[in-house]
Amino acid sequence: MRTFLSLLLAGTGCLLLPTAPAWAYGPAPKYAVADLPAPLRENAHAVIRRQEEALLVKSVGRTVETTRRAVTILDEVGARWASELVYYSSLNTISYFRGAVYDAAGRQLRQLRSQDIHDISLSDGFSLATDARGRVADLSQPTYPYTVEFEYEVVSDNPLFYSTWRPQPVEQLAVEQASFKVTMPAGMALRYQEQHLPAGTAQAKRTQGSQEVYEWQVHDLAAREEEADAPPVAELTPTVFTAPAEFEVQGHAGHLSSWADLSRWTYDLNAGRDELPPAIKAGIAALVQGETDERAKIRKVYHFLQANTRYISVQLGLGGWQTFPASSVAANGYGDCKALTNYCKALLGAAGIKAHAALVKAGSDEQDVLTSFPSSQFNHVVLCVPLAQSARPDTVWLECTSQTNPFGYMGGFTGNRHALLLLPEGGKLIPTPRYGAAENRRERLANVFLDVNGDATATLRTLRTGLEYDGVSGLPGLELAEQKKRISNRLALPNFTLNKVAFKHSGPEAAVPSLTENLALTMPALAPPSGKRVFITPNLLSRMAPPQATVGERQTDLWLDHAFTQQDTVVLHLPASLRPEQLPAPVQLTTPFGTYSSQLLTLPDGSIRYVRRLVMPRTRFARTDYPAYLEFRRKVSAADKAQLVLLKTDA
Amino acid sequence: MLLLLSSLNGLCNQVLAQEAPIKFGKLEAREAAALLASPTPDSAAAEVLCDFGQSTIQGKSEGFELRFERTARLLIRRPAGYEHATVRVLLYHDPKEGRREEIQLLKGFTYNLTGATLSKEPLRTEAVFSRKVDERLDEYAFTLPNVREGSILEFTYVVRSPFLFNLQDWQFQQDIPVRWSEYRTIIPSFYRYKELSRTYWPFTINETGTKAYSTTYREPRPTGYGMTAVTQDNYYNITTMAITRRWAIKELPAFRAEPFITTRRDYLSRVDFELERIQFDPQHDPQFVVGSWAEIEKQLLEDEKFGQYLKATTSLSTNAAALRSLPALTERAQAVRQLVLQQVAYTSTPAYLVRPGNTARRIVEQRQGNAAEVNLLLIAALRAAGLEAQPLLLSTRQHGQIQTELPLVSQFNYVVAYVALPDNQELLLDATDASLPPTLLPEHCLNAQGRLLGPAGRWVNLMNTASHLLYIRAQLTASTQGELRGTIRQEYAGYAASEHRRPLPELRQQWQKEHPDWHISKAEMSAPDVAHPVMLELTATLPGAEAEATTLYLRPLQHLLMAANPFRHAERSYPVDFATVQRVECVTDLTLPAGYKVAELPTDMQLVLPDGGGRFLFSISQPTAHTLALVGRLHLLKTHYSAAEYSAIRELYAKAVAKFAEPIVLQQQ
Repeated sequence: MRTFLSLLLAGTGCLLLPTAPAWAYGPAPKYAVADLPAPLRENAHAVIRRQEEALLVKSVGRTVETTRRAVTILDEVGARWASELVYYSSLNTISYFRGAVYDAAGRQLRQLRSQDIHDISLSDGFSLATDARGRVADLSQPTYPYTVEFEYEVVSDNPLFYSTWRPQPVEQLAVEQASFKVTMPAGMALRYQEQHLPAGTAQAKRTQGSQEVYEWQVHDLAAREEEADAPPVAELTPTVFTAPAEFEVQGHAGHLSSWADLSRWTYDLNAGRDELPPAIKAGIAALVQGETDERAKIRKVYHFLQANTRYISVQLGLGGWQTFPASSVAANGYGDCKALTNYCKALLGAAGIKAHAALVKAGSDEQDVLTSFPSSQFNHVVLCVPLAQSARPDTVWLECTSQTNPFGYMGGFTGNRHALLLLPEGGKLIPTPRYGAAENRRERLANVFLDVNGDATATLRTLRTGLEYDGVSGLPGLELAEQKKRISNRLALPNFTLNKVAFKHSGPEAAVPSLTENLALTMPALAPPSGKRVFITPNLLSRMAPPQATVGERQTDLWLDHAFTQQDTVVLHLPASLRPEQLPAPVQLTTPFGTYSSQLLTLPDGSIRYVRRLVMPRTRFARTDYPAYLEFRRKVSAADKAQLVLLKTDA
Repeated sequence: MLLLLSSLNGLCNQVLAQEAPIKFGKLEAREAAALLASPTPDSAAAEVLCDFGQSTIQGKSEGFELRFERTARLLIRRPAGYEHATVRVLLYHDPKEGRREEIQLLKGFTYNLTGATLSKEPLRTEAVFSRKVDERLDEYAFTLPNVREGSILEFTYVVRSPFLFNLQDWQFQQDIPVRWSEYRTIIPSFYRYKELSRTYWPFTINETGTKAYSTTYREPRPTGYGMTAVTQDNYYNITTMAITRRWAIKELPAFRAEPFITTRRDYLSRVDFELERIQFDPQHDPQFVVGSWAEIEKQLLEDEKFGQYLKATTSLSTNAAALRSLPALTERAQAVRQLVLQQVAYTSTPAYLVRPGNTARRIVEQRQGNAAEVNLLLIAALRAAGLEAQPLLLSTRQHGQIQTELPLVSQFNYVVAYVALPDNQELLLDATDASLPPTLLPEHCLNAQGRLLGPAGRWVNLMNTASHLLYIRAQLTASTQGELRGTIRQEYAGYAASEHRRPLPELRQQWQKEHPDWHISKAEMSAPDVAHPVMLELTATLPGAEAEATTLYLRPLQHLLMAANPFRHAERSYPVDFATVQRVECVTDLTLPAGYKVAELPTDMQLVLPDGGGRFLFSISQPTAHTLALVGRLHLLKTHYSAAEYSAIRELYAKAVAKFAEPIVLQQQ
C-alpha cells in the first residue's frame, strides 16, 4: 500500500509539473547554502554542515570508526574539503566509502561511484617498504558554493589507537554541527579527556542494552583567523581524546590506564630481541676494553653504531611497533628506529652498560604529548642511558637513526618534550634535554672591507649551536656546489657573490654541538658614494621584520615557542677617505618578550664596530600583551635598519 | 652478394668484440683501493662509477618481448650518500590482460675494504620489497647490506617486458656524479623505434651498427591425441639483421636544478624511445606504424579517448549551439569557454587523452575532468557553436620541451582549443582556469610551440602572449623624520593578474610579506573581472626615525620595487627559461616636507641588454620645488636566455638594485 501510494504521488507530480527537471524526483534537498547562518560564513572558506563521527568498540581487539561529513565549500581555498582520503593498511580495512555532491540549493548533483574512488600507495618516499595505503575521491565542482558529503567506515585490528575528535582542526573553517559518539561493549570502560569544549557541551553518557554510549556535540563554531605567534589551532579548539583501557594487537594484549602500562606492554612486545652474534659481542668488549670513563665508553659504542649502520624504514603490520631482532641489524647493517635503538641497547649491554628505549613524539613542528592522558601518542624511539657512575643524576640520550648526529644531542626533533621510558616494571614520562636561549645561539662576526667606490669584500664567521645548529647540521656533508647554492639562498643581502665556504664542527666533547661556518663574499655596490656621502646599514644580515599587525582584536595568546640568542658583530673597515658623520645612538630594550641591544663604536684604527644582541625566551603571554610585544618587535625592526652616514673627507 | 655478407660479418664481429664496460661481481681489492684513492668530483657524497644498460628484443611463446639488463657500480663516500644504496624499479602491467613486466636475476654486492682485505656481501632476498603504486605500476625496491663510508656497491637485474612500446629509456646523468654511463640497444629489423636524445654534455660514444640477429619464437601446438596427449610446441628460429646503437657519456657532473628552468627532465642527459614500426615481412604491410603527424592525427581521431570523445553530443554542446546567435566570433568563442568553465571543474591533471571509459556525457554529468576531458569538451562545444575549432597538442612546462622534428605523440601531455577566425586571425582557448582572461592560456602551457591537428596541421607559437606585469603608482609624502606616507596602487596585469586574483586579506598579506617594512593602514582591492588587472590600493607608512632630522635620506623605489637581486647565484650551467616576458614598473610622486630642499639626487640611468633582451630605466625629476617624480622600469623581454647570457641579466638586476638603494638627500633650509 505504501509503495502504491508513493508511486501514485510521483505520477501526480508528473502530471502537475510536466517540465520539472530530473532532480525534482531525486532526494529531498539538503544543506542548502541559504540555510547557513551568516556568522558562520564570516572568514570561512568552508563550513562543516554536519559531521558525525562514531567509534564502535567491538572488543579488545577490534574497533569500527564511521565518519559522515557534509562540508559546504564557499571558495577555491576551501576546495581542499572537496576531496577525501581514507587510510588503510594491513591492520585497517575500509568497509565502505560513499559520497555525494549538492549544489548551492542543496539538490543532489551526483553520487560517488566506485570507479571515481582511487586506490593509492601512501609511500612516504623514504621507506623501503610500507603497507600504508589510501582511497581517495574528489568531488570538486566548477562553481561555488557547493556541498560535498562523504561517509566511510574503517575496521581496525589495531585498537591501540582510539579516535581523537577535533571537529575544527584548522583556521578559516566553521562548524555548524558536529557530534562524536563512542559505543563501548559491556565490561569495557572508555578513557577520555576533553579540551576547550564550549560550556554545556560536555559528554552525555547513557546505557543502550549492554553497551555504554558516550556522546559529545558542538554547534555553531565560527571560523578562526590565523594570528602571528599564536599557539597551534589544534590547541585552541574543542577536542576529545579517547583511549582504550585494555586492548589486543595481533595477540598481544595490554592494559592502558597509566603511562607505566603502555611502557610495560611496549617493553614486552620487544623483549628478547636483543641477542647479538658472538663476534659482535666480542668486538664491542674489545672496543671498550681499558676504557674506564662511562661516558667515553658509551660514546665509543655510539660511534660504532653510527659507522656500521644506517636507517632504513620498513613499516609493515605489527612491524610498526615491534623491532627487528638485533641479529638482523648485525647482519644487514640497517634497520628502522626501533631496530637501531634495540641494536644500540644490545651493543651497550655487551659493553656492560644498561640503557632503556624511550618513546617520543618526534618532529620539529610537533607539540609535546598530552602528558595528562596516558595513550599511544608516539611515533619514534630513542635510547636513554642513565649514567650509573655519575655523582649526580645524569643521562645520555642517543638518537640511533642518524650516522651524523652528535653524541648525546636530541635537537629540535626529539628535544624539549617528554619521552616514555620502556621498562619491564613499567616506566614513566621523563623530560628529554631542554634547549633554551643559552643553548640556541647564533654568533656572527663579519669583517667588511669597503673601498672608495663603495664595493666591498667580507668574511663572515658564524657559529650556530643548539637548535640553531639543526638547520645547518647537514650542510658540511653536502658537495661544495650544493653548499654554495643553499647558503646563497639564505643570505639576506641585496647583491653578492659567494666565493668561499668552509665549516668546522665542534669537538666531540661539546655538551651541545655547534658548527662554525666561514664565508668569503664580494658585495658590489654595497655602499656607493652619493655626492659627498656614503650610506651603509651596519646590521648587514640580521634584520628582523616585525610580525603582521592583527586586524581587529587579538584572539589568541602570544606563544613564543622558540628561544634563541643572536649576537652579531660587524667590523667595517673603511678607506682612509671616509669617516662617520655621526654614529647612530645605542639602543637598549629590555622587555618580558626579549632583550635587545645595538651599538656602534669607532675603533682606534678608524674602523667601526657594530654589536647587536637579541635574546628571545620561550614563553606564553596573555593576548592582551600582544600590542606591547608588537611595539617591542617594531622597535627592534627600526633599530635593525639604523643607517650609518659616512662623509668623504677628500670631497 | 657474398662480398656483402662477409662485410656484414666483419661488422658483426666488431660489435661482438665490444666488451661490457663492467663485469658484475668481479672487483679485486687492488682495484677497489685505487677507486677509493681517486677523489670524487666536487666532493660529492657518492658517485656512480659505471652504469650500463642494454636492451634487446627476443622471441618467446607466441610473441616477442623486450629484455633490459642493467648493471651498475657505485661508490659511497659519506652518510649523505647512503640513500643511493636503495634502488627503486618501476614495472608496468596491464590490469585488463594481466600481462606484466617482470624483474629477474636481481643480484647485488656490497664491497668493503678493510686494510688489504675486500669483503663481499650479497644482497639478501628479504631486502627486496614490492609495492603497488597504482593500477598499472608496481615499484620494486631493494637495498644493499652493510653500507658504510667507502663501500662499493654493485647491482644487476633484468626486466622482461611483453610491452614492446615500452623500450626502456636511459638517463645518463644523476643527482651524483657519474664517471661512465652507457646504453646499448640491439633491435631486430622488424621493430623500429624513434629516438629522442638530449644532453648538455657531449656523447663520448654515439654509434650505430648492424649485426646478425637470431631468436627463437615458440608456438604452442594444439594436439589431437586426446587425453593422453603430450603438448609439443613448434619452435621457429628467426634470423635477420639488427640495428645496434650505443651511447656513452663520461665524467658527468651531478645534476643540480637551478632556478628559472622548466623541468629537470629537459636538462638531464637522456635518451627516450617510441615504437615506430613493426613489420615482419617486407612484402606485406607493417603490423604497426606510427610515423608522420598525419598518421598520429588519424590514430588520435579514431581513438575513443580522443576523437570519439570529441564527436559525442552532450547537453553542453546543445547549450553551446544556442550561442550561434552571437554574431562576433571572438565573443562567441569566449562565451562558449565561459559555459564550459561553469559546467566542468578541472581536476588539475594534465592530459591529452581522456581517461579510459570516460565518455563526454559522463564528464558533463560528473562536472569534473582532466585537461583533455575539459578541453575536448570545449572544442566540441565551439564546433557546436559554429566555430572552426581544432585540438592543439602541447607539452606543459613541467612535462618538458618539445622536439618538433620528431613526430612523437608522447611528447605531449595537454590539449587546448585552436579557433581559426576570418582574416587569418586565430584564438587559443583553454577552459581549465577561471582566474585567467579568455585570451590567455594557463602559464604552465607556455612552452615554445604546440601542434595543431586538422587539415592545417602545423606548429603554433605559444609564446606570443601577455607579459607578467607588476605596476606601481605611488603618491607619497615625506615627513621631517623621514617617514613616507601615502597611497600605493599596485596593479597586477597579464599573467601576474591571475596569480593575484585572490581575496583581499590574502592579497594584503602577500604584499606585506614582500614589503615587510611598510605599515598598511588601509587596503582595498578591485578585481572587476578576469579581463582586467587586479588592483590593490593601499594607504601605508614607511616608518622614519624617532626624531626630526636636518638631513633626510629617502629610497622609495628600494622599498616599493626591489630590495635584493633575485638572481642570487653567480654560476649558471643551464639556460634561463621563463614562461613570459617580465615587466616591473614604478612611478612615484614624492612630496617633500615643508622647509626641506633637495641636496642630492641619484643620477638617471638607462641600461639595455644585447639583442633587445631587456632593459633598466631609472629617472628622477623635480616638477615643482616641493615634489619629485621617480620612474623605475625593469624589463626582461625574452623568455629564453642562454647560460652565457645569464651573467648579463644578473648584472642588470644588480645595477638596478644598487640604483634603487641610492638615497635622495633632503636638507632642511
